[in-house]
Parts: sequence; C-alpha cells; structure tokens
Amino acid sequence: MTIWLHILAIALLASLGGALWRVWRGPSQADRMMAAQLIGTGGVAVLMVLAALQDWTLLAVAFALATLAALAAVGFVKSESPDGAGDPEEAPPATELRGTVQDRTRNG
Amino acid sequence: MSLVLDIALCALILGVGLATVAGHGVFRAVIFFITYGLLLAIGWARLGAYDVALAEAAISAGLTGVLLLAAHGRLRRLSAAEEAPLRRNLPAALIATGVALALGWAWFALPDPAAPDLTAALPQSGVGNPVTAVLLNFRAWDTLLEAIILLAALIGLWMLARDRAWNEPLGLQYHARAGGVMASFGRVLPPIGLIFGVYLVWAGAETTGGAFQGGTVLAAVCLVSLMAGVLPAPRIAQTAWRAALVFGPGVFLLSGVAGAIFAQGFLALPPALAKPAIVTIEAALTLSIAVTLVLLVIGPPDDGGQDA
Repeated sequence: MTIWLHILAIALLASLGGALWRVWRGPSQADRMMAAQLIGTGGVAVLMVLAALQDWTLLAVAFALATLAALAAVGFVKSESPDGAGDPEEAPPATELRGTVQDRTRNG
Repeated sequence: MSLVLDIALCALILGVGLATVAGHGVFRAVIFFITYGLLLAIGWARLGAYDVALAEAAISAGLTGVLLLAAHGRLRRLSAAEEAPLRRNLPAALIATGVALALGWAWFALPDPAAPDLTAALPQSGVGNPVTAVLLNFRAWDTLLEAIILLAALIGLWMLARDRAWNEPLGLQYHARAGGVMASFGRVLPPIGLIFGVYLVWAGAETTGGAFQGGTVLAAVCLVSLMAGVLPAPRIAQTAWRAALVFGPGVFLLSGVAGAIFAQGFLALPPALAKPAIVTIEAALTLSIAVTLVLLVIGPPDDGGQDA
C-alpha cells in the first residue's frame, strides 16, 4: 500500500512539473495564473497523499491550501482591472480602458 | 521509493527557485514565487514540521500572492513596469553562490545539535503540542517580541502615507458587481475560513495549528471580504481596528506582569493555570495577528495621488 502511495505522490509531483512548464512558457499572464492555480490543486492532492503516508494532521495543511489557493486568482483579477480594485463583471467605465486591459493580459 | 519522492520534490523546489530569479519578466517571477511557497509547504510537510508547513501554506497562498500581484498591478498602472533588459550581474551571482556554499559548508561542519528533550517538561506546559509549548510557555519572551515587531512593521508602513491622506480609507477602494462572482465569493469563503481559523487556534494546543496559522487564515478571508467590497475599507483613526491591533500584545504583556507578581517571574505560567492562560493569550494574539496582516497587505492610506 505504501509503495502505491509513494508512486501516486511522485506522479502528482510530475504533473506539477507539467504545470510549471506552462508557467515558464506563458505566453499570456492568464495562462501563467491558471497554471499556478493548477499547481495549487495538485499541491492539495500531494499533501493529502502525504497525509495518508505520514500523519493525518497534514489534512489541515491541505485544507488551508484548498481554502486559500483561489486568493491569488482574485488578486490577479483585481490587479488587472483599470484601477486595480475593480471586477471584470462590472460594466466597463469606458471602452478604451477595457481594450487596454485585454491587450495587457495578452502580452504577458 | 520515499527517496525518489524526496529527490523529485527537491528538484522541483530548486528548479522553481532558479526559475524565479533567472527568468525574464516580473510577472513570471511573481507566479513562480507563489508556486515556490507552495512547494516549500510540501517540503516542510515531508520533513514532519507540520506547523511550519501550515504557516507556509497559509502565508504563501493567502497573503504573499495577493501582495505581490497588487504590487505588480500598481507598477503597471504607474507605467513603471517596463521590463529592463536582462543584465547578467556577475558579482551578485558570485556573492550569492558564495553565501550559499558557506551556509552549506556550515551545515555539514557543525556538530549535530542536541535538541532539548521536551518530554519531561511538556506535561507542565499545559498543552500537548510541543511547538505551542515552546512558543507560549518556555520561550514566551520571543513570541511577545515577535507580536510587537509585527505592530512596529505596520506603523513603519503607515509612515509611508502622505499627511493629507492620513484620514483616508486604507489601501485601494475595492468594488465589485453586486451579486457577481466576486461578491458571492466574498460572502461564501469567510464563514468557512472563520471556522477553520478558530479551529486551528483551538487545536493548536494539542496538535497542528496555533495563533499565527489561525490568524493568517482569518486575515486571508478578511482580505477576500475587503476585496469583494463586502467590508468597508478600514481607516487608521477607527478605534475598533486600533484596539484589535494592540489587544493581543496587551493581553500577553498583562499576563506576563501577572506572572511576575503572582508566579515565579515575568511571563512565567504556573502549571495549574497554564492551559487556560495559553488559550486566552493565543485567542487574543490571533485577533491582533489577523488584523495586523490584513492592514499590512492592503497598505497605507491612499488618496489616489501619483507617486513622484
């Protein structure tokens, strides 16, 4: 059983490596951010496997990561809005502002 | 098999660390740094330091990412984010490599530290988690000073405010579409985080957790509420926020003075009262740590003026 858990943890780490390649390549900022989110999810999985291997209290660490990993995405979306405090769901204040945001997001 | 796992983890940590400093582009470095913290948390978990893993996971996922991304966005809005062409700084690289090698040499040259055996003293500390026992009983002095340093850091940050902005709300004025994804997220996540943060403080007496970890989780969900526009931005002049800032260090100091009067000395805890005293101090510290971290991340009052 332990050997399978080890193999599972290594496979999950390898999948993190794939996501890291996407952070390196980009090309857009959104690609990098989504890859970081994927690494957060994969990290939760690795921690849960480690919890089974070592100590179940590690589930608290996995839960902390699962609860808070989305904050980076929130911070990214906020910082990409024209005034740094907005929300893409809001009506754009002016059309040309919206254009700049999308251009910025495209060339990361 | 566990060796392969450890080597894979080390390779990932080293690779991400290298990509953070060597790659071109600020945004990519920020994203790599966020993933670096996550991998470090897995590394601490692998080493059996569960409290450190919890703190690292909560800080890197909840606070550092938001802070660095907001800084990057601000630089971009000030049009200061034009990437400088990558310049090889050979002296800096040599010095950094030298420091790393010297540290590595010191690690192997030093004798194995004899870790003090806590098993005899632990029953008298009032708690079952050795980390909490050290932080709040055996070495409470260090923890008290750390709580005060956090406060000093916040005051240092507020020094950056301009005089005319002093009474403005702190940080950016966040807004979101009412009923949209962000506003809903700002209402759904905080109750879960509140329960989890309080659980971490309570469980920290016996198992993984503690005031700092719980406070970081609370700070992160409070930040979500602020960014969703659910909570109004705090102001420096508001008494409630100021009281929350000094509450933890104040309770800690008072208990220290009480120890000096009624027990063996400053910050000494009599074994019979240790458990309730530690839980009270931790609860007060959690509130102060959470509020300090939130105010540190959202930054000084901002009147929207451009920096020179």
